Amino acid sequence: MSATTAVPTGTPTVRRRPGTATVLRGEVAKLAAQARSRALIIGAVVVPIAVVLIFNTQLPPKDTIYGRHIHASGYAVPLFVLAFVHQWVLPLLAALVAGDIFANEDQHGTWKTILTRSVSRTQVFWAKTLTAAGFNLLVLALFATSTITTSLLVVGTQPLPGLSGQLIPGGSALPIVIASWATAVAPVLGFTALAILLSVTTRNPTIGVAAPVVLGMVMQLLSSLGGLNKARQLLLTTPFEAWHGLLTQHPFHAPIVTGALVSAGWLVVCLAFAYFHLRRRDITGG
Amino acid sequence: MYGVLGPNGAGKTTFLRMLFGLIRPDHGTLEVFGRSWRRHGVNSLAGVAGFIESPKFYPGLTGRRNLQLLAGLDGADAASRVGEVLDVVGLTDRQRDKVRGYSFGMRQRLGVASALLRDPQLLVLDEPANGLDPAGIRDMRALIRRLADTGLTVLLSSHDMAEVEHICDNVTIMRSGSVVHHGSIVALREQAPEQAHRITTTEDIRTEELARARGLEVSGVNDGLAIRGPQKDVDALVADIVDAGIALRGLTRDETPLEALFFMLTESAPASPTANLDAPAGARR
Repeated sequence: MSATTAVPTGTPTVRRRPGTATVLRGEVAKLAAQARSRALIIGAVVVPIAVVLIFNTQLPPKDTIYGRHIHASGYAVPLFVLAFVHQWVLPLLAALVAGDIFANEDQHGTWKTILTRSVSRTQVFWAKTLTAAGFNLLVLALFATSTITTSLLVVGTQPLPGLSGQLIPGGSALPIVIASWATAVAPVLGFTALAILLSVTTRNPTIGVAAPVVLGMVMQLLSSLGGLNKARQLLLTTPFEAWHGLLTQHPFHAPIVTGALVSAGWLVVCLAFAYFHLRRRDITGG
Repeated sequence: MYGVLGPNGAGKTTFLRMLFGLIRPDHGTLEVFGRSWRRHGVNSLAGVAGFIESPKFYPGLTGRRNLQLLAGLDGADAASRVGEVLDVVGLTDRQRDKVRGYSFGMRQRLGVASALLRDPQLLVLDEPANGLDPAGIRDMRALIRRLADTGLTVLLSSHDMAEVEHICDNVTIMRSGSVVHHGSIVALREQAPEQAHRITTTEDIRTEELARARGLEVSGVNDGLAIRGPQKDVDALVADIVDAGIALRGLTRDETPLEALFFMLTESAPASPTANLDAPAGARR
């Protein structure tokens, strides 16, 4: 055994600190080491395949948007799945990592381990936030890709019935379906920020993961109540339905723009609260 | 080797948390090597490393992977030191095992290793022997002593006077958030009372008389007498007891003189917030 530590000689020089990208790599490495994140990645690919195959053998669910068309067009299936998953699956997918990524440090008592190194709380905050957001976008992309690909392979590339009754040719339908799934990016990031806020403030992974899902359901319930048209636009679940405008005879994009702005508002407010909370909190546990 | 000593609740860990910027002081400033959190942020930890209470790691990762992640947060050449520090703390053979399978003592040593990654000039260890079995305590003390022998300044927080007495050169004693003593162990010994003994005989009343005749301090305890005085007088008292035909059933050393002083300082002395805080070498707070 040997030790090569130096004899104290006055004030030590400040060495070059690692950048946020280095901290980000560390967070990605930690996430990659978790069985849960690997399972999520695999699930995002495998589960849509199973869902599409199962629905292909069932009677079409006629009470859900595009439900009646899932046997008629492979382009209808991903839209039907999108309409279904936005109710609670996407908020859950957004929260599974984001709701845990900060509270996990409290659970393991490792805040003091990482905050006594050469990185600031700001760096740690952004590294974790970017890791969670990046992971959630990856999961969403895999989920969408798997759903669309499986649907087209299993059902076919028949023309897609539009919401105005028009038929959208197969060649035009694919970009619209992809764009419809892409509209989920903004609210997923909004739910990611909400989960991060809950993860930071409650320091409890269970609350960080479950509460965004519950809040999403409450928002769904509120949006179904009458007389809340203005307030409905401010709910984080409303942007999940913005893609409907892309499927009409004369597509309109205002709900997408509004949804993106509302999601951005949620994102900024939640991240700002989370950031200042983390910056100011005393690390006393562990 | 520098000891920060005090009973539980004295404020040792709070002080160390402030040193590392984990909590903010209500008022006042705390400087290490002339740098403070308020003005220098995380740069105030340049040259400083250590752990507070028991070190914590990611249980699902191996010891080596944990150190690699932490080295990434240290920057500079920390990543190249992972193997070396594992060797220093004797964990090379277990570096590929997940931390969840480590014993408490191994985690403590991994904590020391993670601190050494930063190539510190001041190593801060908060009760590093807490929770260890006797062999673990022996190994940890030997490791700390070895590190100190390399020239590293070690700040050791403890509630155990005997531990600090064994391995530290200087000590600050805290009580209720204030410093009640600061100085070298040698100077502290000079202030310490005589060694206390516990003596049990068949005739405590006569023994007490004999002890008082020798000028020893005597007080009754549940089982026998507590006596305090120079060792030669205690030795003479034993001879007196035997000469008097009293059966000596037991003679044991009670708390060490420094422990006795520690208890006196921390249980009865008024806290002195203006105590001299001139650190001897290495770090100045």
